[in-house]
Amino acid sequence: MSDLLSLARDVLSEAGEAEAEIYLCVAERGCARFAGGELGQHMQLSEPQAVVRVAHGRRVAEAVTSRIDREALVLAVHETARAARLVPEVEGFPGFAGAGGATGETPPRYAESTATATPEDRVERLVPALDAIRAAGLVSAGMLETSRSSHAIATTHGCARSHDATIASFRVWALETPGAGGAAGYGGHLHRDVRALRVQEEAERAVRICKDSIGPVSLDEGTYDVVMEPEAVTELCEWLAAIAFGAPEVEQGTSPMAGRLGERITGDTVDLVEDPCDASELGFGAPFDREGTRKSRVPLIEKGVARAVLYDRTYAARLGAASTGSALVPGGIGPTSLAMGAGAAESVDDLLSGVDRGLYVCRLHYVNGFLEPRRAVMTGLTRDGCFLVEKGKITRPVGNMRFTDSLLEGLARCDGMTRGRKAIPTWWSDVGAFVAPAVRIRALRFNGRSQEGWR
Amino acid sequence: MPSPPDAALRATLDWLRKQPSLRYAEVRFVDTRGERLRVRDGRPEQVTAEASRGVGIRVLGAKAWGFACSPDTSEGALLAAANRAVAIARASDAVSRAPVVFPGQAAARGRYETKLAIDPFTVPLEDKLGALDAPVRALRAGDARLASAEAWMDWTRQDKRLLSTEGTDVTQSFTFGACGMHVFARGDDGESQRRSYPTWQGGDGFQGGWERIHALDLGAHADRVKDEALALLVAPPCPSGQRTLLLESSQVALQIHESCGHPTELDRVFGSEISLAGGSFLQPHLLGNLRYGSPLVTLVADSTRPGGHGTFGWDDEGVPAGTRPLVDRGLFVDYLSSRETAVRVGRASTGTMRADGWNRPPIIRMINVSLDPGEAGTLEDLVADTDDGVLVATDKSWSIDDLRLNFQFSCEIAWEIKHGKRTRLLRNPFYTGITPRFWGSCDAVCGADDWRLWGVSTCGKGDPIQSMHVGHGAAPARFRDVTMGSAS
Repeated sequence: MSDLLSLARDVLSEAGEAEAEIYLCVAERGCARFAGGELGQHMQLSEPQAVVRVAHGRRVAEAVTSRIDREALVLAVHETARAARLVPEVEGFPGFAGAGGATGETPPRYAESTATATPEDRVERLVPALDAIRAAGLVSAGMLETSRSSHAIATTHGCARSHDATIASFRVWALETPGAGGAAGYGGHLHRDVRALRVQEEAERAVRICKDSIGPVSLDEGTYDVVMEPEAVTELCEWLAAIAFGAPEVEQGTSPMAGRLGERITGDTVDLVEDPCDASELGFGAPFDREGTRKSRVPLIEKGVARAVLYDRTYAARLGAASTGSALVPGGIGPTSLAMGAGAAESVDDLLSGVDRGLYVCRLHYVNGFLEPRRAVMTGLTRDGCFLVEKGKITRPVGNMRFTDSLLEGLARCDGMTRGRKAIPTWWSDVGAFVAPAVRIRALRFNGRSQEGWR
Repeated sequence: MPSPPDAALRATLDWLRKQPSLRYAEVRFVDTRGERLRVRDGRPEQVTAEASRGVGIRVLGAKAWGFACSPDTSEGALLAAANRAVAIARASDAVSRAPVVFPGQAAARGRYETKLAIDPFTVPLEDKLGALDAPVRALRAGDARLASAEAWMDWTRQDKRLLSTEGTDVTQSFTFGACGMHVFARGDDGESQRRSYPTWQGGDGFQGGWERIHALDLGAHADRVKDEALALLVAPPCPSGQRTLLLESSQVALQIHESCGHPTELDRVFGSEISLAGGSFLQPHLLGNLRYGSPLVTLVADSTRPGGHGTFGWDDEGVPAGTRPLVDRGLFVDYLSSRETAVRVGRASTGTMRADGWNRPPIIRMINVSLDPGEAGTLEDLVADTDDGVLVATDKSWSIDDLRLNFQFSCEIAWEIKHGKRTRLLRNPFYTGITPRFWGSCDAVCGADDWRLWGVSTCGKGDPIQSMHVGHGAAPARFRDVTMGSAS
């Protein structure tokens, strides 16, 4: 049994008559952040977090604290128990998780080499990448991170689970200028084992994209067929996750899935699944959620048809469903391991070959999906590589452009995806990643050019 | 204030002073506690008490920075964290080419504390939940199309103690609050519309006490808010085209945040924030030369204004709070800066280095960045002075490019203005533009009576991301020839 789980179970003995649940997480992150070719911020970050919930019947209160020691946690249990007596009942609250529930293989998520990486290790891995970018006459920026985390959950009903994970990530930019715009290229890789991190290859990719981006032309606003790299696709999927798949948004009526389960909501090439148990190199999710519910594979959109949404225990009980293990830390409901199904294209070049005149988009920037959530209307800009495609070939770089369109309607016009997929870390979750192929979308609407004509 | 571990902090600082390789070090104790309350549709959606406590240690070696932290505030744990910070700086020194230039700063001493009338942490939990429950019930009453309503209240108390090898020793205690509500109306055709008060969730913050909740008076606004949500269900989409655009005060605040606050952050200018947020079009050669806006546009960075979300005594490098114009009558004249970045443009820091907690290093953050009031009277005066235009209110979506030039914001509601009067409601409006061209088209700013200081509670920046309290004062303003459209 892990030390954290032992602590959680020990503290629960102090809960008295109340029901209680304790989720503990301790993360240690080593972050070597570089910019302007220099290591500007090199950090060791401790992120301890305990989420304590106590219930008297359906009256529930919660405490979140960074102090993970017995004395502090017992105090949190007692104070939360007092608060719970003062709050109104939560409709549908089913109590905390018990000892039963789904079981299964715990997917591999841990590598000792990442857990024990030192500042010197990070610097040593970074230096060749920084040197390569410098040698190309470009400026580097980005971060190499090694992190390890331990998670444990216990309840007074007997639920007891624990999990250890590591993540090594590398994100790198090669830039024409250090902050004033101009050409830019991006590379990134995520793996649980720092030894497998593709540092040099991704730095070279960033250099190649940046050099290819020098001297962009300006295109008119209008509709373009678009081939998007996985980094761009996952940014759109992150926003879809925020507005579409959580039970609260469905109950509220703002989700594009609300009242439409069983209906076709996008193209029949599109499969989206919450896949936290993926045992391959693309899998990063924890096997249980903040409430201790064992996670399982949940098809959300199958061949374009809305199939399911995600629940925690309370929303599931209230809406007559089963929890999908989607209670996020410290709160909310959503996916941590959203995966878009692969297609049949062998490569991005295959997708490009089917474009007569369009755009190849490497990344997106500052997407926002709150314009009209029911249709999943989103806006955002291209970044770090946008190219004109003519007669199936990339012909020249293009200045960054703004799109505004419905993602679901756009995906209904998706007619190609690559067989290969990539895991991209989600910016709000340190234990999850979204997985996507490159996709081809016909006639995406662009309504602005990024920087043209301001001077 | 919770007692800082003074002896351990001083022992750690003494140890750091003795490290020959260090040029500077700071030890920052932070104790944060908070309360997050949400009531949705008559039930408590969230009742959370938060607490976080620890020490962050930042050191400057021969060439580079190191940062480490500890949630354990005992002397032994802090010395271990200090050791890690020094080791990180040494590891980085080994591959750094140019040493960080870090100008000295006079030692700061003193105490800052939020001025408040009623400590929110003394108000009973039942009273707080009651203050949210009543308006939620009012928002849902009277029409089945009022599908869901929510009200929220957040309180944060953050106590900080900063000690540095320069002799700085400052203690600060902040009390931040935020409160608001919104309702979703849903039509038979599936159309969904949201209206909020006092503005979008996350833009409704302040520094102060429970007295601010009384002043907000959620209940008094419930009828208007739900009536507008229902009316939007059947309102026509906002027409596309070039229009005269009027922004109400909180939307001006959002516009300032995204298109003035962020691009004037000097770390972005130098490319330090590429890995999350991007760069800035406001490059140093434009300082004092670029016409950023019309002569009516004066934007001021001010960390001294009482009640502001970005108000403090000293930043996390020990630089005292102050007031500096960023844009003076349309001319771009200064940056939000740190000691390390300001010296690169030949200036002194504007005192904006802040970390969101003990386990993050300080970075340049907005303080209160505000538009000076103008002479266009009240919002209704401005409407009366407009022959043909559109007034928009309450941000709904926000997006801006990586140099902070091309923006597109959508709002919850719009009113068409004809011959000086609001005529009909328009739904799903958005407007888009290029930052200096947009501010250059500003031809009216309302006066001090309609100027209000807003607080953004969730400004994200840094990598790993940090969430910060920042403030924006604004009065309604008018802009000509703006591209508008509808997300419908």
